[in-house]
Amino acid sequence: MSQNNGDTLTARGPDLTSISNRAPWEDARMKLKPSTPTRKPKPPKPENAITIGVSARVLFNMEKEQQIYEQQGLEDYIKYQMEHETQPFSPGPAFSFVKALEAVNTQLRELYPDSEELFDVVLMTNNHAYVGLRLINTINHHQLFIERFCMTGGNSPIGYLKAYHTNLYLSSDPDKVREALEEGIAAATMFTQEKITEVSDTQLRVAFDGDAVLFSDESERIYKAHGLDKFFEHEKAHENKPLDHGPLKCFLEALGKLQKKFYGKGQRMDCPIRTYLVTARSAASSGTRALKTLRSWGLEIDEALFLAGAPKGPMLEKIRPHIFFDDQMFHVEGAAEIGTVACHVPYGISQAMPKKGINDKETSSAPK
Amino acid sequence: MVSTIQNTDVKQKEADRAVVVAVTSRAVFDCGADDGDEVCEVGVAFPLLQALQRVNERLLEENPSESLLFDVVLITSDSQQQQQSSRIISNTRHHGLEISRFCFSSEEDFTESLLKNNVHLFLTTDRDEAAQASQKGVFSALLNGKVASSEQLRVVFCGDAVIRTDTEPPSASQDAAQSFWAQLGEMRRRFGMLDSPLSLVLLTSRGGRESCGTALQTLRSRGVNMDEAYSLAGAPQSPILSLLRPHFLLINHLQD
Repeated sequence: MSQNNGDTLTARGPDLTSISNRAPWEDARMKLKPSTPTRKPKPPKPENAITIGVSARVLFNMEKEQQIYEQQGLEDYIKYQMEHETQPFSPGPAFSFVKALEAVNTQLRELYPDSEELFDVVLMTNNHAYVGLRLINTINHHQLFIERFCMTGGNSPIGYLKAYHTNLYLSSDPDKVREALEEGIAAATMFTQEKITEVSDTQLRVAFDGDAVLFSDESERIYKAHGLDKFFEHEKAHENKPLDHGPLKCFLEALGKLQKKFYGKGQRMDCPIRTYLVTARSAASSGTRALKTLRSWGLEIDEALFLAGAPKGPMLEKIRPHIFFDDQMFHVEGAAEIGTVACHVPYGISQAMPKKGINDKETSSAPK
Repeated sequence: MVSTIQNTDVKQKEADRAVVVAVTSRAVFDCGADDGDEVCEVGVAFPLLQALQRVNERLLEENPSESLLFDVVLITSDSQQQQQSSRIISNTRHHGLEISRFCFSSEEDFTESLLKNNVHLFLTTDRDEAAQASQKGVFSALLNGKVASSEQLRVVFCGDAVIRTDTEPPSASQDAAQSFWAQLGEMRRRFGMLDSPLSLVLLTSRGGRESCGTALQTLRSRGVNMDEAYSLAGAPQSPILSLLRPHFLLINHLQD
């Protein structure tokens, strides 16, 4: 149970402008900073928490180091990391999402001090423990609340994801992401983005594509095989038959569980978590089946945006989600162009025939 | 009464450089009462001995005159096993195990054979035996009950108690623990980052990243660099341990 400084504790998001330079081994408790509790809360039990596994390269920017690894090999990479041990990494693509999760936790702790239904962020990396101190220093520097990690020294992290009951895994390695999906864990590949637009620090916003993300790819298959008209026909005919679930459905479910906790305390209109469906389906026809499916699952989505095939960029620009999940690289790249943090869910029929777009040059053996 | 038999099939290691690991024979061979069958069942420590042997082989590959090697000693302290002493020795030969010495003693003075043989690490499946040895200043650990399947020697150190800081003088067994770790650290340095026959793993169960980080730093200052590190921060240990597949777990609290 955490103790809060009632009046000085702000439930709002993190103060990103005041990153201090503290020595690595200083106590993380910050008695002077009003927005931090005076006692570090205990991490929740994995079976109670909503566990988000993040790899080192999506949490932090390790581009330079990655280059050294690819060009000069592991030993030089380790040497470089150790030489720069006290130099914190700068934020990576998952950083603002993780900060937003922590802000939600702060609010949940205020409303339910004894509950363990919280987000728990675990660092899951392939890196050797040699890089451990630099990673820990960086977590301290950015004041992230990450107490759990697995530095597997080159072994697969997948088993550990399961051991932690991971609800969502984010990595820059598409092979690991695919492995996680195969094990039934919601997962997506993240990429370094040049542009990241500012996002809300009072509300966590998560946007999902529909087919092959929340839903299975069954309808997408029909579209690809028989074209748009057949797709509409099929969806209309099967309007009342729920679609099969897709890889991210359970993550939406987990978010919904936390949302209900806020509703329970009267925070429905300004709920600190908001979810969006951003789909190429159209409201007039194929959209109905999507909504009915969600309803049949007992899930709610705050806003459903049916684009009827229009580009997703402008809509995402309006929404400004902290994270957006799509199964097609075309949409992921489009979102990234306008500065939305977008990740790729390598699932379903679209993977067999990628649309035009620059594929990321990650090597699967690189430390993450 | 303590007696030691040297295994003449195996080259004896340099006494002041070798890392002496003693294992109870009942953990290596399960010689049933049935005398009809010469060959005994292998026990939980068997894969460990094979892994130790592999490390030795690789060390000698890197440097044929290497003296920092594992020196394995088999301890037999119960009378039942003693009756099987010839079978223990013949099975050692049969399986090609690199065991340097066989020590036979009574249950009461097995710790004497540990001390006589300058044992750096004593491994057993019996918690009481481990505690007894510990009290005499011999670093002890419990063998992993489940047979580990990896070829690589995986040593997991539960680091929660690693930082008994220098405010109190270390006990004899803490000294023993530290020197064992330093030896392992040195051995690990003989190999590169990849394809090492031995992997050093740090696991902290309580405390958060700070505890783990401090443990990493402390170990490094003693010349021991970890390959893997896991900070559990209160999460259940057993799912993680079953993934780590250690051959043995070094837990400090056995020492105090």
